[in-house]
Amino acid sequence: MGKSPLHMAKEKDVTALGFSMTAEPKQRFQALAKLGQLRQSLRSLVVMLETCTKCGRCAEQCHSYLGTQDYYNFPAARAELLRRVYKRYFTLQGRLFGRFAGAEDFDAETLDKWLTYFYQCNECRRCALFCPFGIDTAEVTIAARHILSELGIIPRFMQGIAANMAKTGNNMGIPEPALRDTVEFMEDELREETGIDIKIPVDKPGSAVLYIPSSADFFTNVDTMLGVAKLFHHLGWNWTISSAMLEAANFGLLFNMDVMKEHNRRMVTAAKALGAQLVVQGECGHGWRAAKMYTAAINGPVPFAIRHIHEVTAECIDELPLNKLPLRATLHDPCNYARAGDLIEQPRKILRAVVQEFVEMTPNREENFCCGGGSGLLMEEMKDIRMQLGRKKAEQIMALGKLDYLVIPCSICKAQIPAVMDHYGVKDLAMGGLMDLVGKALVLK
Amino acid sequence: MAFIQIKDNQIELDEDGFLMNPDDWNEDLVAYFAKQEEVGEVTENHWKVINYLRDYFKKFGVAPMVRKLCKETGFSLTEIYGLFPSGPGKGACKLAGIPKPTGCV
Repeated sequence: MGKSPLHMAKEKDVTALGFSMTAEPKQRFQALAKLGQLRQSLRSLVVMLETCTKCGRCAEQCHSYLGTQDYYNFPAARAELLRRVYKRYFTLQGRLFGRFAGAEDFDAETLDKWLTYFYQCNECRRCALFCPFGIDTAEVTIAARHILSELGIIPRFMQGIAANMAKTGNNMGIPEPALRDTVEFMEDELREETGIDIKIPVDKPGSAVLYIPSSADFFTNVDTMLGVAKLFHHLGWNWTISSAMLEAANFGLLFNMDVMKEHNRRMVTAAKALGAQLVVQGECGHGWRAAKMYTAAINGPVPFAIRHIHEVTAECIDELPLNKLPLRATLHDPCNYARAGDLIEQPRKILRAVVQEFVEMTPNREENFCCGGGSGLLMEEMKDIRMQLGRKKAEQIMALGKLDYLVIPCSICKAQIPAVMDHYGVKDLAMGGLMDLVGKALVLK
Repeated sequence: MAFIQIKDNQIELDEDGFLMNPDDWNEDLVAYFAKQEEVGEVTENHWKVINYLRDYFKKFGVAPMVRKLCKETGFSLTEIYGLFPSGPGKGACKLAGIPKPTGCV
């Protein structure tokens, strides 16, 4: 379909997910109907669509535009793809004056362009920070992807993950016996490394704390899970992971709002079933945003607190027995921590405590650049574009000179940034999670 | 969705070139996939990894954790990349005829 390299989900898979493919002649009508619905329910979206003076400030601040130099990746132009249609059909001046009022008909190319460009936005929200009106292009992207999905236009990558989630409660499709096998292996690793019998409880009844890691922690990012297990062991917490909900991520947030609500509901159900008083989310960016910002409104009120592993670690880090690691390390602020999750100083506090030298990259905190993989753009067919999206990030890191470790405390960043650094010629830079370092610095008895 | 001809069989692949149906796998496919993933000559070491992956997948329905794959086959991650340049996920899993691990990986 048009210029996008995305592999799209086939009809039978779309249907299996509970969606239906809208036939081409009806697509325009359906899309406008869905936009009309969003207009009724999302005031924030309406504000974004009705505001923009084309001042152009966002252009210099968006890594997607800077990396690809593609006009439609400039945030105001990207939002215009939806805004022009909105104006044509939902505003008086748009209906009357068409092009003169910045309005545009919905034609055969519209959906093509939406698919191409709303899936080149990382939903990082950096544009919103610099826009004089605070227009959040990510909100427009979320709406556009939602409309596309309602027409059955869903990238195969998203559909596959959602199908895995429905079947197993995690994005990787890890069934319970595989999880138990992996946990057993991890416990063996812990015993071998520390000489201590550190457990990773699975579905332990009566647990006070439900820890929800990214499922990638059970495939590639093992040290993150091991670090957390060591910490909880040291703290003596009564905790467990849940085989029904092994996923901090919420891919629904990245392509369809109803799926987002469903994934969130699974988390709430799992926590309630265990009777947990505290849910701790692991190193997952957008999952943290979804859990922290959306739970109360969509599935609340909930009888438990939701916190991030970095929040709880930062609170106790000063009391932990640590051997500082002899590393010169920097921190990449994941977008969904720094701009959407209020997790800015906590990772820094932890990092300063566990390494000998902490250097900031520039810019940092809420002004940090996205890794380029955000909003689930990790599919293989997007690799070339993703490497362009990661250019600003690579430049930031290379500007720091000799580094021993790059902290990338989000699963998407962990998948994307190694590929980006390799692409830009930086080999041999160790990188990984923050809890990985906590685990390595912690002195266990 | 593409179909390729391997000896007398029509085998269906997905858009990433992975086997659509793991039951279609046979040893002749490995040579085909090896070319796709720049593997070169398929040696005993490759087969060790492929067989481990197939066994694990048959048993657990999913690819094994990378660290476990390394430990059980005796290869470091660097050695795995040496055998399968596109890595344990994209390379080794493809030759083993098991689905590409998906998610944030």
